[in-house]
Amino acid sequence: MKRRKFDLASVPGKTAKGVDERLQVATPLRGLLNKVFPDHWSFLLGEIALFSFIVLLLSGVFLTLFFDPSMKEVAYEGAYPALRGTEMSAAYESSLRLSFEVRGGLFMRQMHHWAALLFMASIVVHMARVFFTGAFRKPREANWAIGIALFLLGFLAGFTGYSLPDDGLSGTGLRIASAIMLSIPVVGTWLSASIFGGEFPGELIIGRFYIAHVLLIPGGLLALISVHLGLVFKQKHTQWPGPGRTNSNVVGERMFPRYALKQGGFFMTVFGVICLLAGLFQINPIWLFGPYRASEVSSASQPDWYVMFMDGLVRLMPAWQIDIPIGDGYVIPPLFWPAVVGLGALTTVPMFYPWIEARRTKDYRSHHILQRPRDAPERTGLGAMAFTFFVIATLSGGNDVIADKFHISLNAMTWAGRIGLVILPPLAYYLAVRICLGLQQHDREVLAHGAETGIIKRLPNGQFVEVHQPLGPVDDHGHPLPLDYAGWVVPKKMNRLGALAPAVKGFFFPVEKPVEAPVSPAVPPVAGRDQREEITSGR
Amino acid sequence: MTSDTPAGRRLRVFNRRRSAPSRARRRFGAAVRMVAALALAGGVYTAFAPGALAEDNRPLSAAAQEGKALFDNSCISCHGRNAEGVEGRGPTLIGVGSASVEFQVGTGRMPMTRQEAQAERKTPQFNQDQVKQLGQYVQEIGGGPQLPSGSLTEDLKQNPEALARGGELFRINCTSCHSFGGAGGALSSGKYAPSLHGATEQEIYAAMLTGPQNMPVFGDNEITPEQKREIITYVTQQLQQDKDPGGLFNLGRYGPVTEGLAIFLVGITLLVFAALWIAGKS
Amino acid sequence: MTVTKDDQHGSGRKPVDLSDPRLSRFEIVKEGARRDDIEIVTYESQFAGPNTKAEKRVERAIALLFLLAGLLGLVFLVAYIWWPWEFELGHTNSDYYTPILGISLGLALLAVGFGILSWAKKLLPHEVSIQDRHEAMSTDEDRQITGQTALFMVDELGVQRRPLLRGAVLLGLAPLGLVAAAPLVGGLIKSPHKPDRGEKSPMFNTGFNADLNEGKPVRLTREDGTGVRPEDVSVGGQITVFPGIPGGATNEFADSPTLLIHLRAGDAEVARKAAESDERNKGAMWGNYVAFSKICTHAGCPASLYEQQTNRLLCPCHQSQFLITENARPIFGPASRRLPMLPITVDAEGFLVAASDYRETIGPDFWERP
Repeated sequence: MKRRKFDLASVPGKTAKGVDERLQVATPLRGLLNKVFPDHWSFLLGEIALFSFIVLLLSGVFLTLFFDPSMKEVAYEGAYPALRGTEMSAAYESSLRLSFEVRGGLFMRQMHHWAALLFMASIVVHMARVFFTGAFRKPREANWAIGIALFLLGFLAGFTGYSLPDDGLSGTGLRIASAIMLSIPVVGTWLSASIFGGEFPGELIIGRFYIAHVLLIPGGLLALISVHLGLVFKQKHTQWPGPGRTNSNVVGERMFPRYALKQGGFFMTVFGVICLLAGLFQINPIWLFGPYRASEVSSASQPDWYVMFMDGLVRLMPAWQIDIPIGDGYVIPPLFWPAVVGLGALTTVPMFYPWIEARRTKDYRSHHILQRPRDAPERTGLGAMAFTFFVIATLSGGNDVIADKFHISLNAMTWAGRIGLVILPPLAYYLAVRICLGLQQHDREVLAHGAETGIIKRLPNGQFVEVHQPLGPVDDHGHPLPLDYAGWVVPKKMNRLGALAPAVKGFFFPVEKPVEAPVSPAVPPVAGRDQREEITSGR
Repeated sequence: MTSDTPAGRRLRVFNRRRSAPSRARRRFGAAVRMVAALALAGGVYTAFAPGALAEDNRPLSAAAQEGKALFDNSCISCHGRNAEGVEGRGPTLIGVGSASVEFQVGTGRMPMTRQEAQAERKTPQFNQDQVKQLGQYVQEIGGGPQLPSGSLTEDLKQNPEALARGGELFRINCTSCHSFGGAGGALSSGKYAPSLHGATEQEIYAAMLTGPQNMPVFGDNEITPEQKREIITYVTQQLQQDKDPGGLFNLGRYGPVTEGLAIFLVGITLLVFAALWIAGKS
Repeated sequence: MTVTKDDQHGSGRKPVDLSDPRLSRFEIVKEGARRDDIEIVTYESQFAGPNTKAEKRVERAIALLFLLAGLLGLVFLVAYIWWPWEFELGHTNSDYYTPILGISLGLALLAVGFGILSWAKKLLPHEVSIQDRHEAMSTDEDRQITGQTALFMVDELGVQRRPLLRGAVLLGLAPLGLVAAAPLVGGLIKSPHKPDRGEKSPMFNTGFNADLNEGKPVRLTREDGTGVRPEDVSVGGQITVFPGIPGGATNEFADSPTLLIHLRAGDAEVARKAAESDERNKGAMWGNYVAFSKICTHAGCPASLYEQQTNRLLCPCHQSQFLITENARPIFGPASRRLPMLPITVDAEGFLVAASDYRETIGPDFWERP
């Protein structure tokens, strides 16, 4: 029997045909592969979050292989001598074991933690980009709201993860979480007792947080991230204004080959940076905190940075307690306002911003072209205000460390935060709006009169004028014709081509002396300046 | 006592000028010796002066006499004659013991340069012998806790559990102010608990024993000398000498504040530059 | 590399005949893109021609990056296997295990990343494509059809016409819906006031309740269970004490840690005066000793930064400050309620005991605190 000759080159084609016969994928796949993405550095910030989420999943799975979410008391007998013989929960013990007795375990733990910080940081930076450029406008309102929900889920994922090792810092965080639940009027004690399974700390909380941290919250994150990306895909990416770019097209690169390759390279870069962080900087040395004991605390006990704004608000809150004199008397403690109302408002109100803005500006059209922050001064001002608020609250979350390291009174830091929180955001709004208007004005001036050249010309009547370089065509007198603003960068620096050379080189000190007279006959005399041709005349 | 005489006043001025921290140490030592000799002369003068002798007739040891001379030059303006204190300027030193003096003077906290929320650690003005002499003087006139002689740490080869016990005691008694990694922390209104990274065994022991400034006193009944040695073992061996296993840099062991700073200054910055490069026109 | 400059605009052109054997692969790709409303405007090589020197140089650089990544990967593997990694006290080689892993893997990944990125940026042709957005909504007809289909479905079920079925469905499914929620809510829910030890709700009860000690006053003990005598705490000293009952120093009694302070005589006078003039703290001091709950009334952290000269107690979590000599009233920060005071005395054997349980509620504030 003669064997048929095996034709290697035809295998891919045949396979592809076979797949398409069964699944009919060629047509939809063509549409999928053919997708144009605009290229700008600020469009890559969201990818940092996506890629660090992938690193989180990978390193997190590794950690679950060794972690034991149990609060059973055991005596530590592991490799770290300074805790040997200490009674601790099995959760803390297994966290220590995976740090010290699993080869590369500490590296993985640090990678997981750094990736979590990077995930949240890039979410915030990405959110700022989307906000300040107006990318959230119709039709992308839903994706903006999903983004905020992702921040909130990331916040919860971070907090539950912070609590799992059950070290001194974790337990302190849990205690505060319990206090925040207790502060809710009417149902507070019931909520806390239900979540902790009785009085704080109980024996259930680590197990419950564990399932939330490894299944429920990542599941939610995964689902929302899929919808988020699906919507970006469906609605196509926004783009900056520019040549050939309109509200009804996308100008950029097709997904394959270049764009996808760039994404792959960027994933490797994000992964690499996380690895470097994990190797260079120690994060959360749980072995120094010791097991959680209700009586022990370390100074400078802080949450991770993305929870710090809430902790800062809690620190700045004055001691305003509301007593309700009914029956035995009821209390609303001061903790309730910043921690429950504040956090709730700060994570839900921004969700509705796209609709609020549309209503305010009565702009219900679809927008696919981004706005420069200066072109929407009120929005930029509002963003600056929110950002200032967030930064002051976050800094106040670490005000004890700042006070200690910079030798400032702790009480003064608290007061500075309280006053700053009230005064600085409106100031930031005002400044941002003024700066936006000023920049707009400058753009319009350049478009109308050309770029400033710094060249001063004296007119026959003795008047001095600055020479402007026109950006576009000029009229009969050599005056630039006013141009329309296109929503994109206006060149403001003069084009040196054909311009006069500066009289003296050097910025602060002349690096060469202006030539006054020919030094030797070999060097020809410097041509008189009036012999050169001017680039243009100004006004 | 010397300060009451014109000569003593001049000496004090002289001493203050010569003891400016910018001076080289050996020149300073010579100056102090001269001051001490002159002060002794002043002391001899007061000894013969009528009336001054009446209060204190206990004989001082030789070291204490040296210490008294130093005291009368540098400390008397705030802590008063015979260390009885001056209202509004400095507390009495009766009963604080040599341990307290050795801590305060040995770490340069005393003499203070100005009245402030808290005396800061600075370069000591006196050398070790002078600190001992001052301590001896204060001890002899007022009594109080003294540093024990011998090693102030446990030998981990013979007693390996000491490290863990010290860690436990450290977390119960010390972390609340000095923080989990010994980096120190803020207290109310400008006061602070100092970092422990530069503290010596003697200083830690003396601080626990005497409760300098706002630090509570941990007497020998509360934390036994053995337990104190265990704490010191933990601080020196674990917090000071052990290199952090989790990276080249430990970010000062300040907790999440510096970690949050690092993620923006390093992580986000690097990646934004990478993004700029990726999207830039090649 | 193909050097193409597309100058044919407009979509009204005839579709390309794909069976034409003269078509290049790129022309097929372009035709495919066109069918997806993508116009490839520019697709040109970054090099003047094939196999230029510049291209070779870039290729070499990229190859070098990949080789570097491989080398660093090997460094990672070698270090992972052979570098000493088990924790040792002091400054040892094992302290560099994590840094070596991180730096080698990080740089390897960065090398791969830069390699891929350089490939994309430097070797691949420069491209500008324009794709139309399909913003146009569905046609009115389509919308009408979809809407009518949905309404038709409702009509067919006839929920409007069949009130009996509607009611039955509602009545039948509502309890079933509750059944789905019941195990979750019912299983989790727990009364905060259910007495678990002693007779009072645990919210108002600590380990110093004499009922837990067969009616005898509970001793103040150290974390190891040994009792505390007054002379154990020096003047200006403080000690954390726990109820002297089994498990008293564990997290089971997370509300019980107490700070026992030995005040200086002058401060003690001030403190006594303040305590005596207060209804609840009357008689709670013993000698110059005071005992206050360590659990902050704000968020429950141990407020344990005791300043022995100013007699302030600072909580490290949110910087609430309490003045010990004035019944530990809050003088700064977000705490609104003073720290509860534990009435103490000394028993026959000379140990400090709790004269009674706390007279105020411990810990962070809540709605129904009386």
